[in-house]
Amino acid sequence: MSRPKLLALLCLAMAVAPALAIEPRPLAIAIHGGAGVIDAAKMTPQRAASYRAGLAAALDAGYAILERGGSSLDAVTAAVRTMEDDPQFNAGRGAVLNHEGDAELDAAIMDGHGPRAGAVAGVRHVRNPVELARLVMEKSPHVLLVAEGAEEFALEQGMVLVPRGYFRTEARARELDEARQTQALQLKAAAPWATGTVGAVALDRAGHLAAATSTGGLTNKQRGRVGDSPLVGAGTYADDASCAVSGTGQGEFFIRQVVAYDICALLQYRHLTLAQAVREVIHEKLRRSGGEGGVIAVDRSGNIAMDFNSVGMFRGARDSRGRRDIAMYRDAQ
Amino acid sequence: MLSEQREQRYRAGLEAALDGGFALLERGGSSLDAVSAAVRILEDDPSFNAGHGAALTRDGAAELDAAIMDGRQLRAGAVASVRHVRNPIELARRVMEKSRHVLLVGAGAEEFALEENFALVPNHYFRTVERQEQLECEQRGQRVSDLVPSAQGTVGAVALDGDGNLAAATSTGGMTNKRPGRVGDSPIIGAGTYAKNGVCAVSATGHGEYFIRAVAAHHVCAAVEYRALSLQQAVRETLHEILAALGGDGGLIAVGTDGQIVMDFSTEGMFRGARDSGGRREIAIY
Repeated sequence: MSRPKLLALLCLAMAVAPALAIEPRPLAIAIHGGAGVIDAAKMTPQRAASYRAGLAAALDAGYAILERGGSSLDAVTAAVRTMEDDPQFNAGRGAVLNHEGDAELDAAIMDGHGPRAGAVAGVRHVRNPVELARLVMEKSPHVLLVAEGAEEFALEQGMVLVPRGYFRTEARARELDEARQTQALQLKAAAPWATGTVGAVALDRAGHLAAATSTGGLTNKQRGRVGDSPLVGAGTYADDASCAVSGTGQGEFFIRQVVAYDICALLQYRHLTLAQAVREVIHEKLRRSGGEGGVIAVDRSGNIAMDFNSVGMFRGARDSRGRRDIAMYRDAQ
Repeated sequence: MLSEQREQRYRAGLEAALDGGFALLERGGSSLDAVSAAVRILEDDPSFNAGHGAALTRDGAAELDAAIMDGRQLRAGAVASVRHVRNPIELARRVMEKSRHVLLVGAGAEEFALEENFALVPNHYFRTVERQEQLECEQRGQRVSDLVPSAQGTVGAVALDGDGNLAAATSTGGMTNKRPGRVGDSPIIGAGTYAKNGVCAVSATGHGEYFIRAVAAHHVCAAVEYRALSLQQAVRETLHEILAALGGDGGLIAVGTDGQIVMDFSTEGMFRGARDSGGRREIAIY
C-alpha cells in the first residue's frame, strides 16, 4: 500500500529536480517613455514607428547587459541614457523647455541592494543626468544635489558640461511657444506626450533590483519646479526586499502620494501581488486624488507590471522567459 | 553636555514654539497654522538650525530647506536651497497654497517668493558668529559637539487640531560644511515630512540621506496604516531597525489621529517638546 505512494513521490521529485537545476534566475527589464494624452492627429504611423524604435533600442540596450550577467543598475542606467540621448523623449537632449526656454533636468537612480540612491534636480548643462545621479550615489555621501551645486559636483567628477543649446530641439521650442500662448502648463498640452518622462526598472541574475528615472519636467514650467522623478519614494524607488518602480505623470500628485514607495509597501506589508499593488495605487489612490500617469515596476520574482490611468504610456518589457513587447496604448498596441 | 546657560536658551526657544503652536490650536485654529507658527518661531530663534542661525555650507552661506504637509487632502509644499527667504516654512506653505507645484528649488523658488511679495533678505541675515565658528571648526577637522544642533539640528512640528486634521512641517539649514546644492530629507515629502488624516503626521531630524533612502516619514505612516502597528511601534521600528540597519541615526516626532504623541531618537539627545489638551506639557533634551 505504501510502496506505490513512495514511488509516485520519487517520480515527482525526479521531475522537479532537473527543472530546478536548469532554470536560471529570472531576468527582467521594463522601460517607459512617458504617459499622457495622445494627440492622434500628430501620431502619424511614421512617428509611432520612430517612438517604437527608440523604445526598442533602450529596452535591448538594458537587456543585453542583464543577459551577459551585468547588474540591474547598469541595465537601467544604459536604458535611460539611451532615451536621454534620443531627442523624441522628454529627458536629456530633446527635453521640454521651461518658461525661460531652457531645459532643466531631473534624474534619480536607486539600487535595491543597500538600498542606496542618487539624484539631481534643476541641472541645465549635464548631457546625461542619470549618469550624474549615479555619481551622486557612488561618489558622494549625499542623495540629492540640485542646480549649480549639482553641476559643481559634475565638474569635480570630471564630467564635461554642455551648453544649454545642446538640449533644445525645434519641436520643443515650438511646443513652448504654443504653451506660452495658451498658458498651458498641464499634462493635456497641445503636444503629444508633453510630460514624457523616461524610466527603467530591472532585476538581474544576482537578484538585485534597480530603478532609474529622468525628465525635463513640464513644458513652460516655472524655473526651479521639481517633480517626482528625482524624489526617492515618489517617482523612483527600489528595494531588493520588495520591488523597483519608476513613474511618469503629474509629478505633484506622485509626490504627495509617495507613489513608488507606496507600491512597494503594499507589496511587502499587505502582501498584494505586484499587479494588484500597482493597480491599487494608480487606479484607486492616484485617480481618486485627481492625478494622472503610470508606472512600470518589477518584483523579486521578475514579474513586470506596467499600468497607467492616462490614455497611453510608451513602454516596453523584456524578460528571460521570452517576453519582449513594446506598447503605447491600453490594448498593448 | 550643554552648559546650563545654553540649555536654558534651548528650553526657552522650544517652549516659545510649543506654546505658540498650542495657543492656535486652543482657540480653534488649524493644525496647519499651528505647525507653521511653531516652526516659524524656531526659524527666527538663532539657537536652532533653521532660518536665522542656520548651519553654513562649505562656502559660508546659509542654504535652507523646508516642507509643510496638510493631512486633509495630502496637500504639500516645499522649498530647497533657498538663500534669501527669512522664513522658508512660509514660502513652503505658499508653494502649497498658491502654486500648482509641490517642490521649488534654488533661484526659481526665490523668483516665486518675489512674485508672492516676500521681501528677500541678504544671506548674511542668517549667519551667526556661532555658526561661523562651527564651520571653521569643521573645516579644520575638529569635531563639533553632537549636542549643539549643528550637523543635524533640523526643526519641525506635528499637530492634530479640533477638527481632527493632521499637519507636519520641517525646516533646516542642513549639515554644517555641506556641499552647496545638497538637499536632505526635510523638504522631501515622505522622507522628512508627511501627514495623512486618519493615520499620522511625522517630522524627522537626523542624517538626511538615510531618511531619504528609508522614505522614513511615510514608512511610519505605512506601518500604522497597512500593518496596524501602534504609532510608537512604527516610530521605533523606523528608527531602531530600518534606519539603524542602514547606519543612519536621528529622531522622529509624530502625532496620531487619536492625539497620541510619540518622540523617539537614536542619537544622544533630541531637543523636543510636547503639549496636549490632556494637560501634558513637557520640554526635554536627553
